Amino acid sequence: MVSRSSVVGVVLRTFIASFLLALAVVVIYPLLWMVMNGFKTNSELFGNPFALPVQLTWDNYAKAWNRGVSSYLMTSILVTVTATIATVFISAWAAYGLTRMQIPFSRTVLALILGGLMLAPAVALIPLVRMFQALGLYNTFWALLILYVAFRIPFTTFLIRAYMVDLPLEIDEAAAVDGASKARAFWSIVLPMCKPILVSSVILNILFTWNEYLFAMVFTSGGDLQTLPIGLTNLMSKHGTEYPVVFAGMTIAAVPVILLFFLTQKYFVRGLADGVGK
Amino acid sequence: MSAPLRTAPSRTDAAPLPLHPVEAGARRRRRSRGWAWVAPALLVLGVFVYLPLLQNLQYSVMEWDIYAGGSSFVGLANYEKLAGDPVFWRALFNNAAYAAVSLICQVFGALILAALVEGLRSERWRRALRAVYFVPSAISLTVAGLLFYFIYEPELGILNALLRGVGLESLTQAWLGQEGTAIWAVIAMSQWQGFGYSTLLFAIAIQRIPQDLFDAAALDGVGPIRRFFQVTVPLTREMTGLMIIVTLSGAFQVFNEVMVMTSGGPNNSSQVLVTWLYRMGFGRNDFGYAAAIATVIFVLTLGIALLQLAITRKRRVEW
Amino acid sequence: MNNVRLRVCAVSAAALMGLTACGGGTDVEAADLTASPEYEGTLSILTKFGGDPLSPYFEDLAAEYSSMHPEVDFDIIQETDQSIKDKTKTLVASSALPDIYFSWTGDYADKFIEGGLATDLTSVLSPDSEWGGTFGAASLDAFAKDGKYFAVPLYNNGKFIGYNKAIFEAAGVAVPTTFEEMVAACSELEAQGVEPLAFGNKDGWPGLHFLQQLFAYNVPQDVLEKDFVPATASWDHPGYVKSLEEFQTVVQECTITGSDSNGVLYSTAQQAQSAGQAAMYFQEILEFDSVVTESSAIKAEDFGIFALPAPEGAEGDPAALEGSPEGMMVNARSPRQALAVDFLKFVTSKTNAETLAGAPYSQPSTIVGAVSESTASPAVVEGVTRLNEASYLLGWLDAVTVPDVADAWLAGGEALVSGSETPEEVLSNVRAASDSAE
Repeated sequence: MVSRSSVVGVVLRTFIASFLLALAVVVIYPLLWMVMNGFKTNSELFGNPFALPVQLTWDNYAKAWNRGVSSYLMTSILVTVTATIATVFISAWAAYGLTRMQIPFSRTVLALILGGLMLAPAVALIPLVRMFQALGLYNTFWALLILYVAFRIPFTTFLIRAYMVDLPLEIDEAAAVDGASKARAFWSIVLPMCKPILVSSVILNILFTWNEYLFAMVFTSGGDLQTLPIGLTNLMSKHGTEYPVVFAGMTIAAVPVILLFFLTQKYFVRGLADGVGK
Repeated sequence: MSAPLRTAPSRTDAAPLPLHPVEAGARRRRRSRGWAWVAPALLVLGVFVYLPLLQNLQYSVMEWDIYAGGSSFVGLANYEKLAGDPVFWRALFNNAAYAAVSLICQVFGALILAALVEGLRSERWRRALRAVYFVPSAISLTVAGLLFYFIYEPELGILNALLRGVGLESLTQAWLGQEGTAIWAVIAMSQWQGFGYSTLLFAIAIQRIPQDLFDAAALDGVGPIRRFFQVTVPLTREMTGLMIIVTLSGAFQVFNEVMVMTSGGPNNSSQVLVTWLYRMGFGRNDFGYAAAIATVIFVLTLGIALLQLAITRKRRVEW
Repeated sequence: MNNVRLRVCAVSAAALMGLTACGGGTDVEAADLTASPEYEGTLSILTKFGGDPLSPYFEDLAAEYSSMHPEVDFDIIQETDQSIKDKTKTLVASSALPDIYFSWTGDYADKFIEGGLATDLTSVLSPDSEWGGTFGAASLDAFAKDGKYFAVPLYNNGKFIGYNKAIFEAAGVAVPTTFEEMVAACSELEAQGVEPLAFGNKDGWPGLHFLQQLFAYNVPQDVLEKDFVPATASWDHPGYVKSLEEFQTVVQECTITGSDSNGVLYSTAQQAQSAGQAAMYFQEILEFDSVVTESSAIKAEDFGIFALPAPEGAEGDPAALEGSPEGMMVNARSPRQALAVDFLKFVTSKTNAETLAGAPYSQPSTIVGAVSESTASPAVVEGVTRLNEASYLLGWLDAVTVPDVADAWLAGGEALVSGSETPEEVLSNVRAASDSAE
């Protein structure tokens, strides 16, 4: 009896392990295929799709880089860095106000800020186009920056606020005893204590901004303003027959965020656990 | 990033809250100063999120000519047109299909998967698998969409080559080029891209369950499958609820992958609400009609969020 | 003045009045285009020359122009065939339309003209003017409306079947002279294991190109022109159904991808001919030199062209060709119209036109004498000659019709390829779209 169930257990466990590994292959193989195709020639690509590249030349990667990917990458980095910093600061500032200050109509304020979580960016698309036109911001760097900040404040505030609520009030009071102003307490005491959730917020915002497509597509019209997701589709339509170059461009776009995720995995998971997982 | 990050409504926070003790304690302090803290966030949200939202309602009852610049009030004409537009209904159906498949794979499937992963004995394997599954969620939907465009490509794609390799020649086809398969192929890609994210979240939720509960159940002779239903499922209920809402809401906002892979074709068979909105607005200059589609998306996503609020509030009362 | 308008708009937007069309109504004073311009400021240009090998053309010209006039800067937005329509509309909707922008002929151009966005260039561009006289007259006329000239035609474009002479010879197939012969040739080629005609309809418009050429053959010109305008359209000539059926025949008999063709990119089809695999590929003149390159498997001496053969006994015009010039308009709201005109004169100078006609750009310039054996590849020269000889040039189906009708055709073409709708069903959808667009 015992031995039978342990046999079943072993079989089951082996089955589960194989399933989990198979799933990992399904995830990894397409990505490897993408990287490999960046090394192939067109005729290799159209030949046997499973074949390994004949030689590892960086030609396609260099071509992709020179055909705009370098500029898309710079734009993406610039937008991502500025939008992330602005979002996290405004949100942390607001989260502090929401947890440490007595504000008139505070419930309404809270509902207004967090209510933004429920709104789909697409709904605001058409009016935003006209608004940015009227403000002379259409097709500028500012358009993307403002939109990314505006639509990310609710979630980021939500994350940071949830963390700040759990910080003991005594720290603030100690600071007040020391004669520090609220703003100073925020900068020098509360903010450093929130470091884990701030790191998580930064990572989540980087992932969002780096990959955003709808706004980037509608609010930029070429030149140096295009981010990687838009640039890649351009690469596809402009150099349609040279698919290996497109694969190389895709790889260049994917690698930084994958690296970021693996390097910051600890913070990332903890942030999700603290913020979303509650 | 996938939808959860963008739209995750909070169980505890979006509902009107009882004042936190800290907040109550601070009541006597100067009130007006507090505004300085929330003003930047409120201002940005007000001007760039809430104002356009209201304007959209206004636009949806207008018609305007972008070339000449004139506009006129047309009442509910855009909504009437919507009701009679077969592509709109097709798009709505496709969004619903998206929602249904994503619920199955990214909520229930991911929960089971997370339980399986967390059931592994080796911590190293657990961590490795969670990370590997997550990788597609880190790359953008644009990259994933383009990648799967090539995987589905009839000539050089690996899907058809794979099918031929295992003797299923008869199943090979232009996955994105057939009206019957296009949207399903896009949905399948989306599952590949997104399941690791929800699996990670469920894994976090499962880790929070005290190990004693599993041990106690095991001592009582409860098998692993029943343990899953008796311990894991009920104790991850909140995460499940959150993921259902996030997944549903995200499914009605799909745009990126459809645009990259099919642009809504062939013959509009893979249109979803946002691609149709984009097409009508920027393709056909019918911005009033596009605004009406946007209103539908607004009502749907808001409805889903309010439903969630209602459910969590009810649950809180039960407790 | 511009600034004031912006400020007023910003205020009104903030006051929830965003709809009051800030872009509209205000006209920049009509500039004297014949006067010499002030050489200063930033000239913005929207081109359809994105990507290789075309993108350097305007960039080089802009750099050269800037070196002649150091106070002039350029802001060049380069789009592609696929992306330019949506991008243009976004720019128009946001009043960010550049000083100089690309346009097709037909309804596409009419929208700009009727919306007051296209500068009337008659004073400098009419055929009897100094500048206008350098263009082929038919190209200029293609953009004329009510006797006024609104666009600078840059190059001619037309659609031809490019074929691989070596494959034809090896298979013992002659160049078909009728549609029926072509279909027979397809069967012959396929029987010998050759891909007869490469076709990728992922974006929808490649199918429309077949349809429009068949319409030109099967439907009389006056009926076509009436049907392109929603107010007079009936779309009930029997030639339409015949054309749609013939298109289905091409897809089924001549392509190896058949009803799967909606999943194939046009560039994959182009590649199939370039790689020497496909015997035929229906393409624009602009594509000739992308198919035949130094590294392509198909060699220049093996590349020939013929017009899609007309069906026997067709009711329309068997000598008509699908094609039209493509050109640039000057934004009527631009404060730099005279400068824009001056730059366009520079672009269309004989020297620069010859550069455009020659490798690697290979665009059949509209400037008389620019396309010749010495500047362009033989196939391009032959294509341009045939365009000039055509009895009638019919513009692209998705540019000559209003957007709703163009979309209906786009969807209908895909439905015909996949076989999900009958020709009658497609036509009835087009009629419905046309009626509602009235």
